[in-house]
Amino acid sequence: MKNIYRGCLFLILLCFFLLPYVASDYYIALFFNVLMWIALTVSWVILSGYSGYISLAHSAFFGLGAYFMALTWSYLPYLLIIFLAGVLSGGFALAIGLPFLKVRGPYFVILTLGLTEFVKFIFVNLEIKLGGTVGRVLIQTPSLISLYYCLLIVSLASIVTAIWIKRSKFGVALLSIKEDEDTANSVGINTTLYKLLAFGISSFTPGMVGAILALRHSYIDPYTVFSPIISFQVIVMAFLGGVEKVHSAILGVVMLTFLSEALWVRYPHAYLIILGVIVIIVVKFMPLGMLHYVEVILKRKIHEFFTSS
Amino acid sequence: MDPKWIFQIFLTGLVMGGIYALIAVGLNLIYGTMRLINIAHGELIMLGAYITYWLYTICGISPLLSIFIVLVSCALIGLAVYKGLFLSMIKNSKSVKTLESNSLLIFFGLSIGFSNIACLLWTADIRGYTYMTRVVHICGVPLMYNRLFALIVSLVVCLLCYTLLHKTMLGKAIRAFIQNKEASQLTGIRPNLIYKCSFSLAFALAGLAGCLLSMFYEITPFMGFPYTIIAFITVVLGGLGNILGSLLGGFILGLIESLGVNLTSPGFRPILTYSVFIFIILIKPKGIFGRGVY
Repeated sequence: MKNIYRGCLFLILLCFFLLPYVASDYYIALFFNVLMWIALTVSWVILSGYSGYISLAHSAFFGLGAYFMALTWSYLPYLLIIFLAGVLSGGFALAIGLPFLKVRGPYFVILTLGLTEFVKFIFVNLEIKLGGTVGRVLIQTPSLISLYYCLLIVSLASIVTAIWIKRSKFGVALLSIKEDEDTANSVGINTTLYKLLAFGISSFTPGMVGAILALRHSYIDPYTVFSPIISFQVIVMAFLGGVEKVHSAILGVVMLTFLSEALWVRYPHAYLIILGVIVIIVVKFMPLGMLHYVEVILKRKIHEFFTSS
Repeated sequence: MDPKWIFQIFLTGLVMGGIYALIAVGLNLIYGTMRLINIAHGELIMLGAYITYWLYTICGISPLLSIFIVLVSCALIGLAVYKGLFLSMIKNSKSVKTLESNSLLIFFGLSIGFSNIACLLWTADIRGYTYMTRVVHICGVPLMYNRLFALIVSLVVCLLCYTLLHKTMLGKAIRAFIQNKEASQLTGIRPNLIYKCSFSLAFALAGLAGCLLSMFYEITPFMGFPYTIIAFITVVLGGLGNILGSLLGGFILGLIESLGVNLTSPGFRPILTYSVFIFIILIKPKGIFGRGVY
C-alpha cells in the first residue's frame, strides 16, 4: 500500500515537471496558479493550521516580496532576488513576531488584518511621495516556463517543510499550542520560541511567491499585491480541505482553483457571488473540511464494494 | 493655536466619530454575545447607503425618512442571516475557537456575495446625490447641514443605545450575557432572544451609518470593507465586549483622525488609524478603558 502511495506521488510530481513540455500556455498558466496557491496555503498551515493562530498577514508578506522584486529587479539576478525576498519577509515576521504573537484569538486575526492594511498604505504613500506614481512596471521579465519551475521548487520546498515540521517535535509543540497554550507552557514547552519560529518559516514562502508573481504580472501596485483578498482566499482554501493536514489543504487548493477557473470562464459576472455561496455552504454543512467527507464516502464505497461482491 | 481651528477639528472629528461609534457598537454586540467575527459588517453600510440612494433618486423619499426604512430592512436582513446561517451553528459548535474561525469564513462569503450582487445589480459606478448642502456657521466654523444632521442623528442614536443597554431589562440582559454566558442563562435569560436582538440591532445600526454616510460620501459596491476595518479598530480601542467603550472609542478615533489629517495630509489618514490600532492592541489589548466601563 505504501509503495502504491509513493508511486502515485512520484507520478504526480513527474507530471508537474513535464507539464511545460506538453501543455499549452493556458494550462501552464492554470497550473502556475495552482502551484502559487499551494505554496501560499501550505505555508499558512505551518503557523495557523498547526498552532491555531489564524493569520491574515499573508498578503503583507506577499506584497513585501513583490515590492522587493520590483525595486531590485534591474540590479540582481532574479533567482537571488526571489530567495532574498523570502529572507526579507521571514526577517520582517521575526522582527514583529514577538509582540504580535502575544496577542491571542480574535485579536490576532484583527491585528494581522490591520498590519496588512498598515503596510499597504505605507507603500501607497511612498509611491505617491517618492515616485509620483501608483505602481511599478517590470520589463524584460523571464518566460512563464522558467517562472513555473521556480514556483514548483518553492511550493515543493514549502510542502516538504510543512510535512517535516508536522512529524517533528516542533509540530507536536505547535499542535499543543492549539489545544491549550497555557498548559503547554506549564509543562515546559517554550511556546514563544516555537510560535515565533513558525511565524518566520510560514512567512518565508509568501515573500518568495510574491517576488515570482511580480515577475509574472510585470506590473504591480500596492492595492493589488497587498490585497487582503489574498489572505482570505488562502484561509478559505485551507478550510475547504481541512486545516491540520498538508494533503487536505492541497486538496482544498486544487478544488477551489479549478472551480474558480471553471466558474470564471462560464459566469464571469457572477463568479464571486457563486464563490461566496460555496464558501458558506461548505463551512455550514461540512465544518470538518471537505476532505473528511470525501474520505468517509470513499471508505463507505470501498466497504460496500467488498461486501456486495 | 486658533480656538476656531481647534473647534473645526473637533466638529469634523465628531461627525465621523459618531458614524464610527454606530458601526462599532453593532460589531461589538455580535462578537460579545455570540463570538462571531463579522467581516461583512461594512457590506450592511453599503446596503444602507444604496437603499437611501435609490429611495431618494427614484421615489424622491428624503433621507430623513428613509432612515426608518433602512433601519427596519437592515434589521430584517440581520434576522434572516441569523436564522438562516447561525442559529444551528451556534447551538452545535463544540468550541469558541471553531465558532470564531467558521463565522469568519461565513461572513467572508457573505461579504463577497453581498458586494458582488450589488455590483451586478447596480454596476460599479461611483454614485452620490446632493442633499442639504447648505452651509451653516456654528461659532464661526462652517459645516454643511447634512453633516450636522448626521452628527445629531448619530449622537441621538448613541444615547438611545446607551439607554437601551443600561436602563432597560433587555439591555441589562444583553450585557449580562456578554459578561458571562452560562451564569446569565441560569438566571433565566433566553439566549435565542439575545442573539436575535443583537443581530438585528447590529445590522440596523450599520445600515443607519450607511444611510448617514451616503449624504456626503460616494457610494460604491465595495465601499464597505474599509469601514469594516475601522469598526474593528474602534472595537479594539474601546475593548472587545465593552459596548460603552465602543461608543466612546468611535468618537476618540474620529477626533484622532481629524487632528492627524489636519496636521499632515489626507493620504496619511489610513496610516494614522492603523498605527493607533496596532499601538493599542500591542500596549493595551483590553482596550483603553480596560474593564472599567461596562
